[in-house]
Amino acid sequence: MWTLARKLLFHDRLRFAVAIAGVSVSVMLVLVQVGLYFGFMDTASSIIDASHADLWVGKKGNESFEFATPFDERTFFKVASVPGVRRAERVLMNFAQFKLADGGDLGVQVVGVETTPGHKPLLAPWNVIDGDPSRLSEPGAIVLDKSEYPKLKIDRVGHQTEISGVHAEVVALTNGIRSFTTSPIVFADLKTARSYLPLGLDPVTYVLVELEPGVDTNVVKARIDALPHLKSYTTPEMSERTRSYWSSRTGVGAGFFTTAVLGVIVGFVVVGQILYSGTLQYLKEYGTLKAMGARNSAIVRVILSQAMISAALGFVVGGILAVGMKKAMAGANLTVALSPQLYAATAVVTVVMCSFAALLSIVKVLRLDPASVFKG
Amino acid sequence: MQAALSLDDTLPGVAPVSTTLARMVGIGKTYGSGEHAVAALSDATLDIRRGEVTLIEGPSGSGKTTLISILGLLLKPTNGEVWIDGNNVAKLGERDLPALRAKHFGFVFQGFNLFPALTAMENVAIAIRMKDTSIKDPEAEARRLLDLVGLAPRAHHLPADLSGGQKQRVAIARALGGSPPILIGDEPTAALDTKTALSVMELLRELASTAGRAVVVVTHDPRLERFADRVVRVEDGHIQGIDSRRTHP
Repeated sequence: MWTLARKLLFHDRLRFAVAIAGVSVSVMLVLVQVGLYFGFMDTASSIIDASHADLWVGKKGNESFEFATPFDERTFFKVASVPGVRRAERVLMNFAQFKLADGGDLGVQVVGVETTPGHKPLLAPWNVIDGDPSRLSEPGAIVLDKSEYPKLKIDRVGHQTEISGVHAEVVALTNGIRSFTTSPIVFADLKTARSYLPLGLDPVTYVLVELEPGVDTNVVKARIDALPHLKSYTTPEMSERTRSYWSSRTGVGAGFFTTAVLGVIVGFVVVGQILYSGTLQYLKEYGTLKAMGARNSAIVRVILSQAMISAALGFVVGGILAVGMKKAMAGANLTVALSPQLYAATAVVTVVMCSFAALLSIVKVLRLDPASVFKG
Repeated sequence: MQAALSLDDTLPGVAPVSTTLARMVGIGKTYGSGEHAVAALSDATLDIRRGEVTLIEGPSGSGKTTLISILGLLLKPTNGEVWIDGNNVAKLGERDLPALRAKHFGFVFQGFNLFPALTAMENVAIAIRMKDTSIKDPEAEARRLLDLVGLAPRAHHLPADLSGGQKQRVAIARALGGSPPILIGDEPTAALDTKTALSVMELLRELASTAGRAVVVVTHDPRLERFADRVVRVEDGHIQGIDSRRTHP
């Protein structure tokens, strides 16, 4: 059956090329759109995912990770003294103005972290590719991502500027740390961050918690949540909360998935039309086989095999195109997260899409009266 | 109604039925119903015998195609019986018919109906495979059948590279896949020139004579009568007469 299916498909090469193009575009759209979505979501939660904290504690009612309301430092001590908390660290996060070399300003997202020397912090810049991140504890030291160089109009470690009118010096570079808000992320020591972000006396946005070994996470969470105005989340919960906030509030999820669904519809229509016209072309031959005793199932297998060949080749071509698109988009600071899981899911979608596209042809063959071969 | 007939019985005025492969008794076919009903075939009785070439002649719309469609189990009669292997199969459902058709019938058409993307051998082999026969090596069997119809040298050619006569020989080889005892041809020579048409009929004649098959051919062409053992004349949905011809080339 494979031989017949393959030869019938390849016999009309132009039509086959159109079918493969249809599936390929469909596969590429699904991979790129869903990959972009996951890329954005990875970006949105990247700081949370990179932390080593067991719990993230913030002000109750905070909806957005980036736009969280700070509280004062007394709250930090209250959290740190909760039974079951082994270690607590402060994070301050807000937006400030970064002075550009040409005299202009650019909004940046300052992330203040604790940088006690000789102590592995629960949150610190990662993927450092240049400079000395240990200098982050120095007053005015900042760490930036290399991808933000053009936006910030700087070109080297050691660049000096001002944030909110306060001195800043780039001491290290990271790779691949970007913000969902598109504002460059600037890591600084907590004290330095406080000088950039005048939010009151000793502000803190989040308290990161490392639990005592063996304690029940839910018990400690309940103890923290019992404190006034606080809400705690495990790191995975915080990550998911942030992703769903950006996904639902911005409509980015619906947007990307709508385009992906449109891609599937395009593929479905193209493959369906190609298979159906191919079936019509060979209707007499199929009728002849049915007249001579071929069962419907045998001919249905031929049509399904054609659909699977189209799906397989279209998936390979579409998958390669998606890798090309990923590389092209990387130049525009867009991350297309193409995981093996996404490829596997897209392969399943492609097979299902092509199978459903073959339904019309299958119905046509099932209804084909073998006596019709005598009708001229 | 001769409902009790079996293949061991003898119909009046015809040859001994020990050679009968299929029998149609009192077959009628009506399309539509009520005042729109059209009787395409009425009270048709016919034996199909081993080793014989039976021509079915008649003008367009006379019921020839309906007759062979019912014989080939492609169409259910409105009334009457179709006996094959001692069983009346006229009322069997579509679930049971493919296996019966695969076992008993091969079809040859005016338009050949060959897959243009497949070689001669592949066209024959795919039919063998789809008939779900017990043949272990469909390709080898296809080569043997193409050799039988004199087309072994063209086995790997596409239909587009074959002449009309060669295509029809491929179609005959395909019809022979699974060794059905009855070959039904629907104007198999209509698209061929005279010389080629006669050679195709010679082949069908030979298949009937030497392999003990029954060949039933619908035709408008009276020149083919010389190859026939019997000529069945159909007009206005009735079998008007059956001429027996004991000699043929």
